[in-house]
Amino acid sequence: MTTVISVTGKGGVGKTTVAALLVLKLVRRGRRPVLAVDADPNSNLCEALGERFERTVGDVREAFERERDRMPPTVDKKLQLEYKLMGVLCESRGFDVLVMGRPEGPGCYCAVNHLLREVLDRIVGGYRFVVVDCEAGLEHFSRRTVRDVDKLLVVVDATKKALSTARRIKELAGLVRVKRQYLVLNMVRSEKEERVLRRGAAELGLEVAGVMPYDENVLQLDIEGRPLTELPEDSPFSHAIDELMGFLAL
Amino acid sequence: MAGEEEFPLDVSPMYEGERVRKEDMFVELGGPTQPGFELVIYEPDAEKVKDGHVELIGPDLTEMEEGKAYPYAMIYKVWGPEIDKDLEPVIERRNHEFQPYIQGYMHLNQRDEIWVRISKSAMKKGLKSLKQIGRKTIELFKSELPFIQKMEALYITDKEEVEKRLEEARKVYRARDERARGLHEEDVEEFYQCTLCQSFAPTNVCIVTPDRPALCGAMSWFDCRASARVDPEGPNAPVPKGECIDPIAGEYTGVNEAAVRLSGGEYNRIKLHSFFDCPHTSCGCFEVAGFYIPEVDGIGWIHRGSKVRETPIGLPFSTIAGSVGGGRQVYGFLGIGIPYFYSPKFIQADGGWRRVVWMASDLKERVADAIPDEMKDKIATEKEAKTIDELKEFLKKVDHPVVKGVVRPVDGKKITEGWAEEEAPPEAAAAEAAAPEAAAAPTAAAPAQQPAAPQVAMPQFPLLPTAPAAQPQIQIPTTPAGAPVKVILKDANVTIGKIILKRKEEK
Repeated sequence: MTTVISVTGKGGVGKTTVAALLVLKLVRRGRRPVLAVDADPNSNLCEALGERFERTVGDVREAFERERDRMPPTVDKKLQLEYKLMGVLCESRGFDVLVMGRPEGPGCYCAVNHLLREVLDRIVGGYRFVVVDCEAGLEHFSRRTVRDVDKLLVVVDATKKALSTARRIKELAGLVRVKRQYLVLNMVRSEKEERVLRRGAAELGLEVAGVMPYDENVLQLDIEGRPLTELPEDSPFSHAIDELMGFLAL
Repeated sequence: MAGEEEFPLDVSPMYEGERVRKEDMFVELGGPTQPGFELVIYEPDAEKVKDGHVELIGPDLTEMEEGKAYPYAMIYKVWGPEIDKDLEPVIERRNHEFQPYIQGYMHLNQRDEIWVRISKSAMKKGLKSLKQIGRKTIELFKSELPFIQKMEALYITDKEEVEKRLEEARKVYRARDERARGLHEEDVEEFYQCTLCQSFAPTNVCIVTPDRPALCGAMSWFDCRASARVDPEGPNAPVPKGECIDPIAGEYTGVNEAAVRLSGGEYNRIKLHSFFDCPHTSCGCFEVAGFYIPEVDGIGWIHRGSKVRETPIGLPFSTIAGSVGGGRQVYGFLGIGIPYFYSPKFIQADGGWRRVVWMASDLKERVADAIPDEMKDKIATEKEAKTIDELKEFLKKVDHPVVKGVVRPVDGKKITEGWAEEEAPPEAAAAEAAAPEAAAAPTAAAPAQQPAAPQVAMPQFPLLPTAPAAQPQIQIPTTPAGAPVKVILKDANVTIGKIILKRKEEK
């Protein structure tokens, strides 16, 4: 059985940090293999995990559309797509990363998305855990390029905007198939901030799964552009992720 | 391998789709970094196939270095009284189905882009040789496809040998593709539907035949057939061809029945290769829009994503697509997929390429090799013609078939009259020459010009780009040579501000 965890939220609230650490901790706890999906064109989950990617699923889709007319008639397009997708999968120790890349250009993608869905479903099925770093529009879920979500984590910081994005995501999540939905409070600097955020969560009607403290270590890695694999195990953020995972029974 | 030991690995369909991740793999065979292919050859002489035999050229698994990639070729020879050359690709395609049954053996794709991985745990369980894999594969083939009576395999991991034989294999693939391209509607019993985009175009009837790909261009008859084999009742369910009512226009009873079913009763006739009469419906996402240009009695084409903004009818692709899409049969417009330009039946009922007068230049370039030589220089682009007047000038200059009347290549029938009223037909010229006497015999000259009358263009209702987008926009096309115009308005509110009827000015 594969468990799909999707981490989402307004840009800049730190969802990539949460997603990356979830991946790394799952691997460390032996819950491998884990598939990390970077489904936010404006984020960089792959780099946060200390990996580099060359091409994205979007690149494969575009190339597929371009080469389509030159493909020999008896070549099976689904097999071909599976082959190409396997080629963009970035394979690491205990986890692999799939970068979705930019959204579609003009044109009809019904057929290619249909194939993509089938192939991705198969690939995803091979992992124990899938962690998706997902932009707030949940596009890959609404288009069903990625299968249903078991746990949706909406990350917020102590800003009004982050909370109103969370509200929109909650509405959207009703449209795609999400089993459980939680709020993760991030970059919490004080108890007062936590109280305010918890009140916001109560108004939203979302359960708080974890409270991530503001952590200089995270900020420092971010500034230096270094991956989260280097975050010390005993840093406050790392501890908070452990608690979050305990809460989610991961 | 003396003394046949038990095959050390589990073999079951449940391992299908199992992927061997890089850190779990012992070696990679073929794949993105090394050459690789698989090939099935029919051997007509039963004596020449050593049943169950596997030969290996190059290093075997025990001689390979862990974590590395090696070249890989799998060549099978098959014999059976019911087998012939046409079955080769069908049998070959099953290698991808059977080999993944083997636990710890990943097999992706087909032909000369295969990607195989063997897991470390398979080696731990006692796998020693690729010959074991080969023998197990032959066993699977013969038990699943009993018509294969004899089968032998040659596996190769030697780079030079793989590369040498790859050239041979590619020749075989090319020959098969040539045969596949030669397949036409008359050669098959089944077409396929495609309902992948029906959520956007609920009444769309997408019928895919060997001569007509889906409108999005992505699904060929072969793709649909592959999809239908996996899911016979899915989006690409087969459509029995039924009886052929009109081989030129491409009308089939089976297609008409499917049209009723797929459109929810909205349409009951579809002619696959007709532009003007019961055309194929246009979904929301066709690649190319064809539009009738009544002034020249020809057809223009522009594709999605074209850098050309304006067509001679004054509208960009988006506006045309917006007004005709949604799964409707729209007279005077047609949405198609780019590969349809390559079909020998391309709008053949309406003259095929001889009826094409204009194309966006980037589209014309893209499908250049589909255009018959006689038409290559006769089709205008935005470079030659941005307006109807420029288009008329161009067509006259190159002597385009529409000027004097189109003879459709499929049966040599003349289907349009040409621009009689402008070109001054011979009779009229004669009448003019006889002008001095005309006064004496006016009645004789007048009827001579009569045939030109139906050519008087129908009042052209340009598409109304300013109309609210939600309202359907209709252009009433003129029909060739005086055929009646059929206008159906359903649930329509018609408000008319002003109608101007004008007699065409005499030259």
